[in-house]
Amino acid sequence: MKPAPFAYAAAESLEEVLALLGEAGDDAKLLAGGQSLLPLLAYRLARPSHVIDIGAVPALDAIDERDGRLRVGALVRHAALERCELNGRWQAVREAAALIGHLPIRMRGTLGGSLAHADPAGELGVVATALDADIVLRSVRGERTVPAAEFFIAPLITAAAPDEVLVEARFTAPAGGFRSVFEEFSPRVGDFAYASVAAGCRVDADGAAHDVRIALGSVGPTPIRASAAEESLTGSALHDAAIAECARMAATACDPSAGDWHADGEYRRALVASLVERALTRLRDTP
Amino acid sequence: MTTAHGPLIGVSAPRRKNLELLAGKATYVADIGLEGQAYARVVRSSSAHARLLGVDCSDALRVPGVLDVITAADIDDIRIPIRLPFAESPEANRALQAPLARDVVRYVGEPVAVVVATDPYVAEDAAELVLVDLEEMDPVVDTATAGEPGRPRLHSSLGSNTVNQLAFRYGDIDAAFAEADIVVRRRLRVHRLAAAPMETRGLVADYDRNSGVLTLWGGAKVKHFTRSLLARVLGLEPDKVRVVEVEVGGGFGTRGEPYPEDVLIAWLARRLERPVQWIEDRWEHMVATNHAREQEHDIELAATAEGQMLGFRVRGWCDHGAYIRTQGLLPVVLPMLHMPGPYQWQAFSMDLDAVLTNRTPVGTYRGPGMTEATFVRERMVDILAAELHMDPADLRRRNLIPAESMPFVFNPGPGSSGVMPIAYQSGDFVESFDEMLAAADYHELRAGRQRARSRDGKAGVGMAVYIEFAAVGPFEEVDIICDGRGVTVRAGVGSVGQGVETALAQIAAELLGAELEDVSVEFHDTAEIPQGFGAFASRSTVLVGNAIAAAVNEIRIKSAELLGCGPDGIELHRGNATGPDGRTVPLAELGGVRGRFDKDGLTASFGGAVCSASVDPADGRVRLDRFLVAHDVGRAVNPRLLRGQLAGAASQGIGGALFEELAYDDNGQPLSVTLADYMMPTAAELTPVDLAVIEHGSPSNPLGIKGGGEAGMVGSLGAVVNAVADAIGDGADLLSSSVSPARVWRALNHQSSLDGAGRPAMET
Repeated sequence: MKPAPFAYAAAESLEEVLALLGEAGDDAKLLAGGQSLLPLLAYRLARPSHVIDIGAVPALDAIDERDGRLRVGALVRHAALERCELNGRWQAVREAAALIGHLPIRMRGTLGGSLAHADPAGELGVVATALDADIVLRSVRGERTVPAAEFFIAPLITAAAPDEVLVEARFTAPAGGFRSVFEEFSPRVGDFAYASVAAGCRVDADGAAHDVRIALGSVGPTPIRASAAEESLTGSALHDAAIAECARMAATACDPSAGDWHADGEYRRALVASLVERALTRLRDTP
Repeated sequence: MTTAHGPLIGVSAPRRKNLELLAGKATYVADIGLEGQAYARVVRSSSAHARLLGVDCSDALRVPGVLDVITAADIDDIRIPIRLPFAESPEANRALQAPLARDVVRYVGEPVAVVVATDPYVAEDAAELVLVDLEEMDPVVDTATAGEPGRPRLHSSLGSNTVNQLAFRYGDIDAAFAEADIVVRRRLRVHRLAAAPMETRGLVADYDRNSGVLTLWGGAKVKHFTRSLLARVLGLEPDKVRVVEVEVGGGFGTRGEPYPEDVLIAWLARRLERPVQWIEDRWEHMVATNHAREQEHDIELAATAEGQMLGFRVRGWCDHGAYIRTQGLLPVVLPMLHMPGPYQWQAFSMDLDAVLTNRTPVGTYRGPGMTEATFVRERMVDILAAELHMDPADLRRRNLIPAESMPFVFNPGPGSSGVMPIAYQSGDFVESFDEMLAAADYHELRAGRQRARSRDGKAGVGMAVYIEFAAVGPFEEVDIICDGRGVTVRAGVGSVGQGVETALAQIAAELLGAELEDVSVEFHDTAEIPQGFGAFASRSTVLVGNAIAAAVNEIRIKSAELLGCGPDGIELHRGNATGPDGRTVPLAELGGVRGRFDKDGLTASFGGAVCSASVDPADGRVRLDRFLVAHDVGRAVNPRLLRGQLAGAASQGIGGALFEELAYDDNGQPLSVTLADYMMPTAAELTPVDLAVIEHGSPSNPLGIKGGGEAGMVGSLGAVVNAVADAIGDGADLLSSSVSPARVWRALNHQSSLDGAGRPAMET
């Protein structure tokens, strides 16, 4: 449990990060909070030639709501997200951040690190998928945005190129009373969840649900959007039977191969159904 | 006894070392850094069962900073012996482990080579370059069938993978079953668990060429056995080996037994003539340090319709892993000893086999054997209670051995082999049982369960009662040296976090009329203490405490001789002995006084656990609402320490039932090699443990003490699983000691009888 040798450099600006990445070639890793990377290094599951520490890079730690989007800088700590003032539209972001690991992990871990790590159990990836986040990537070649749906490719694999830095995530949600929540099941507090759900919707004056968003974590190689379940609820009143049907459909979106010896696929699908039900019930019952 | 300060035995004196430990000032083995110290990394088998065709160290040896790389070819062909004569068999002695694998590797994690370097990172880099050439063989991973003919054999020197077969026949078992109105049968599985102390193992060894003394830091628990083992395998006189204990972050039965690494690190220090440190990492710990508990039992229980339990038959298989280690056959001996428990059986018949599988060797873990046996028996009692529609407490009470039958013994009858009588010296089981129920407010728990059920809640109450055998001999000795007001007690105990130095100081201070803070207890260094047998079987306070009492008697006799009076007339106070005539002699004039306490047999004590739980049908999560441990400790020397021991052990047991499991796949690959997969409970998952400390003084020793360090564990698996099964309700045939969320959810949603391994259960 001692990392293999690597070269370490601490960058003081984004420009320096990009330059160092350019020099290091394909085999560099960015170090932010270190909560995922350091265990991988210790287990020698990751053997980067270079580790570039971006912890001191300025201006990547802002949380900013404008133009109907929530912009979160890559170096925003989970604890900061958990504690910030956000309206109900972005409630899922806060709730998800509060469920990441334990407090010491949340004090160090960052949004950018969590998204770039792309563990299918990562809470923020699920929220990013539900809230149609754009992931902002920067390199010496310029800046581009990738929708969350295209950013996550496989466990620990993203659309980011080796020379790109994740600088920001821009969560998107409609105006006009849209609210979001996050639910997960983990065996112990702070564990990787067996299943998680980010859900949101807007309820109109007649009680019908619109802009339904449901994304699932830990039940596939990437966060999964439960589109059919979303459609089943759209325009429908949030009565128990409709919620139950939506939850059932969400469970069918799980990857059939999901599961491990702790929690097999059948159990995880059942967890998804119960979490979707709980999330939608909260969206209905909480004023 | 007259003392200046009143009694100290029975007082909750603050635990010694607390501040030092909390302030980070204690020295653990990883804190030791000797001049010129080198660092060892063990290369381990990645295969569960393979022929070892060769080990190529040449690339590793070329890494700058690497001092040495050794394989089995470099060391003598030795085996690490069994520490306990009553835990041996001829077959077991042919399955002992060599420090480094020879010819065959038999579990993932088995040491194959050791790299020593000037830096621990370099050692790990170089260890990756050691090429181990393995030719895969079929692994044996199923416990119940491991000993059957036709299975791959782990050791060619053995005819099968069975290394011991114990049989215990008591009474007329056929008559008991013929008389029965009801017989319940199940196959129960106890899942594989680990003690997983917070601090992993570690060692520092140093050989001084001038004095010829080899010193090993980091030994604990059984220092003198480790010393004699090292002396033998290194060809040194015992007085040329020192084993020194430093602070340890938990023992629980696993730390401090001599393992392959103890031999290897000592051997390397001597070979290199420089200090060598080895610190086990967590991955290593999960595959290298003893595992525990894995067993399967086919059990049938015969009873009358009125709930008289007549007899039981059990056929069980106790997994010992790939090798027999220092604790020998305890994983089969102890379940046998504890299986009958506190009930008045007419007859029983037990056949338990010790088998080998291609997994990490199994040793003892807090409450060894008794926890497994208690789960098996008490789960069956609850299954019987459900069949009979009886309150499980009523069923238990009517079958407990009555006080008037004490002392009580189950003698092995014809057909028995390899077993000793099971004898209970004292106790009032019915009274203690009722004390437990009262302390748990059992009737209110049952009423609360009914209230929850009337609201469609899934609530249950479960319990387990047991007899714990503890305080094994053969003896302990202490030296007491009085110097002015100060008292030094030298004893061969091990302090593995249980607070024994505090309890022993209390005993010595009270008996000597000394101030508690004037008494120091020395036990760290084998060069400075009498021979001792170590810290296991909840024996230290009983054995050493009574050896202290014997030494104090000797002090009375000696001072009475000097003062010309009888020993009973002596008053001991602050370093002086005073006779009836007021004449005084300083105890310092007596020099060192030795005391010894010999103990035959084991001390039995009664205990139990009561648990109330609720389960969430949506996700299988278990919530414990109440957990109570009751245990007869004979006499509580330090109530607060004792409660910490009982509650800590119970919490470990609760974690074992709800979360922890050492899983393997069909190829013998371990699946629980991090603490993310081996899920120990945190404060968030645990419930406060309530305690009922019962004090029925033991007749087996002058101080009246019984064991207390492990008892909280013993009923935990049984009580939790029984409560969960009760909560799930009809058809909840929980047959594994693991009630993880997934298993509970499956039981709730399928109500099918699956044993712990997911196979269909035996029919009733």
